[in-house]
Amino acid sequence: MKAKADFLKRGIIGLFSYLVLLFTVCISIVPLLWIVISSFKSNKAILNKPFALPTGIDFHAYYSVFKMNNFLSNTVNSVVISVSSTLVALLFYALAAYSFAKFDFKGKHILFVLFSVTLLIPGHATAQPIFSLINETGLYDTRLALIVVYISAGLAVSLFILRATFLSIPRELDEAAYMESANFWQVFFYINLPLAKAGLSTAGILMFLGNWNEFFYGFMLTSSAQNRTLPVALQFFTEQFSYNYTQLFAALTLVTLPSIILYMVAQEQVQQSVVSGGVKG
Amino acid sequence: MFKYNKLWVYLFILPTLLVFLTFYLVPIITVFTTGFTEWNGFNAPKFTGFDNYKMIFTDDNSLTVSLINLFKWSMIATFIHVPFGALVAFIIYRRPFGWRFVRGVFMIPNVIAVSAWAIIYRFIFNDQMGLLNNFIRKLGFTNFHTNWFFDMKYAFSAISLTWVFYAVIVTLLVLSDLMAIPKELHEAAKIDGATEGQIHWRINLPLIRGSLGTSVILSIIARITMFEAIFLTTKGGPGNSTYNISVMLYDGIVNYQFGYANAVATIMIILGIGVLAITTKVFRMNKSVYN
Repeated sequence: MKAKADFLKRGIIGLFSYLVLLFTVCISIVPLLWIVISSFKSNKAILNKPFALPTGIDFHAYYSVFKMNNFLSNTVNSVVISVSSTLVALLFYALAAYSFAKFDFKGKHILFVLFSVTLLIPGHATAQPIFSLINETGLYDTRLALIVVYISAGLAVSLFILRATFLSIPRELDEAAYMESANFWQVFFYINLPLAKAGLSTAGILMFLGNWNEFFYGFMLTSSAQNRTLPVALQFFTEQFSYNYTQLFAALTLVTLPSIILYMVAQEQVQQSVVSGGVKG
Repeated sequence: MFKYNKLWVYLFILPTLLVFLTFYLVPIITVFTTGFTEWNGFNAPKFTGFDNYKMIFTDDNSLTVSLINLFKWSMIATFIHVPFGALVAFIIYRRPFGWRFVRGVFMIPNVIAVSAWAIIYRFIFNDQMGLLNNFIRKLGFTNFHTNWFFDMKYAFSAISLTWVFYAVIVTLLVLSDLMAIPKELHEAAKIDGATEGQIHWRINLPLIRGSLGTSVILSIIARITMFEAIFLTTKGGPGNSTYNISVMLYDGIVNYQFGYANAVATIMIILGIGVLAITTKVFRMNKSVYN
C-alpha cells in the first residue's frame, strides 16, 4: 500500500515538475518565435490569423526595414558604440584590476571600497548630472556621448570579475619575467593579459550585452534619427509605423537576434557572469 | 620581491579613477546637494531647503503613488518572482531530462533588450492581433476583449506579467548555492530517516538563504529602476496606475526641473540602500552558512 502511494506521489511531483519546466520554456521562446514567424507574414495574416504559419519565406520586410528610416545607420551606431565602449572599458578596468590584485599602494583599500560602492547606486539616479555634463561638453547627440557613458556603466562588476582573474594568476610568473628584465607594462601586457582571457571575455560579454541593449541614455542623449541606437530607433519605429506589423516584427527580430546569437555562442560565460556579477535584471 | 616604479601602479588606476570621479562621485554629490535647490539647468541653483521634498511628498501625489506601486511590485517580486525562480532551480537541481535546455532557454529573455521585450509585450497584449487575447478566445471565451495596457483595471497586472515569471537570475543564483551543498549532508539526513520534503525544508532552504536574499535585493532594486517596461507600454498610465519612481525622475529631467529630479534621485538611492540593509538582516546574509 505504502509503495503504491509513494509511486503515485512521485508521479505527481514528476508531472508537476515537467509542467513548470514546460511553462518556463513556453514563456521564454514563444514570444520570440511569434515575432520571427510573423515577420514573414502579411499584415492581414498577422491581424486575422495570429497563430498561423507564414505561407512562404519572404525577406521583403527585412529589406524594406533596412532601406528606410536610417535603420542601417542605427545598426552601425549600435555596433560602433557597443564595441568601442566595451573595448575601452575592458582596458581601463583591466589596468585597475591588475593593480588592485597584485600590488599594495597607498589608498588601495579606500579606493576599492569607493569603486565597489558604485554598485549600490540604482542605474538612473545620476541621470541629471550626466545629462547636463553631456550637454555642456557639446557631446549631446553624438556617438561619443554614449560611448563615454557606457564605459562608466560596467565599472564595479568588471573590476570584481577582472580582479579575481588576476588574483588567480601566479606571482611566480611575474617574478620570473622581472628577472628577465621585463618592465612593468610588459609583465602586464605579455604575461598577465593573455592569461586573463577567461575573465576578460566574461566581463566583455556582460558589458557588450548591457551596451547593445541600453535604452535610457540612448533615448535621453540623442535627438536626430541617424544618431540613434537600435533600441531607441525601434521605439520611434513602433510609434510611427504602428500599422505595418510585418516590418515592425522584422525590426524587432533584427534588434534581438544579435544578443541571442552572442548568448548562444557564449552560454557558459553569460551564465557565469550572472552568478559572479549578480547584477543584470 | 621585485622592484618596480610605484608610479606605474597609480598610472594603471588613473583611467578608472577619472571615470569614477566624472560619472559617479561628482554626479552623486550634485544629486544630493541640488535636491535642495530650485534649478532648471540654465540659471544657478537657488537653495530652497526641503521644498522639493515637501512638494513630492505633499503637493502632488506622484511620489505616494510611485511608492505604493513600488511596494506592490516588491511584494510580487518577493513572494512570486523569487519563489518561482527558486522552484525552477529545485526542479533543475534534480537534473530531469532536458534540464540544460530549460536553463539555457530561460536565459534568453534576459539577454535581449528590455526595450524590445516591452515592445514585444505590447503586441502580445494587443487585443486584436495579440497572442494572449486570441489564446483566451480560442479557449472558448469568444467575446473576451481587453486592452491590457490601457485599462485602469489591468494595466498594473499587465506590467507585472512582463517580468514576474522571468526569474532566470534567481534560478541561476539558487542553483549555484544548491550545487554547493555537500552530498554527505543529504545522505546523513536520509540515514536518519528524513523524507525528501524534510530535506528540502530543513536542510536545503536554510542553506540557500544567501542566494534568496541576493535575489530579493536584486529583484526589488530592479523594480526601483524599472523604466523601459513602463515607459514603452503605459507611460505610467492610465491615470497614474503604473507610475513609478524612475519615470518620475525621467519626467523631472526632460521638464528641466533638475532640483526636483535630484530630490527624486536621492530618494531612489536611499531606497536602494534601505532594501539592501533590510534584506541582509532578514535573510541573515552576513552570517556564514556552514558552521
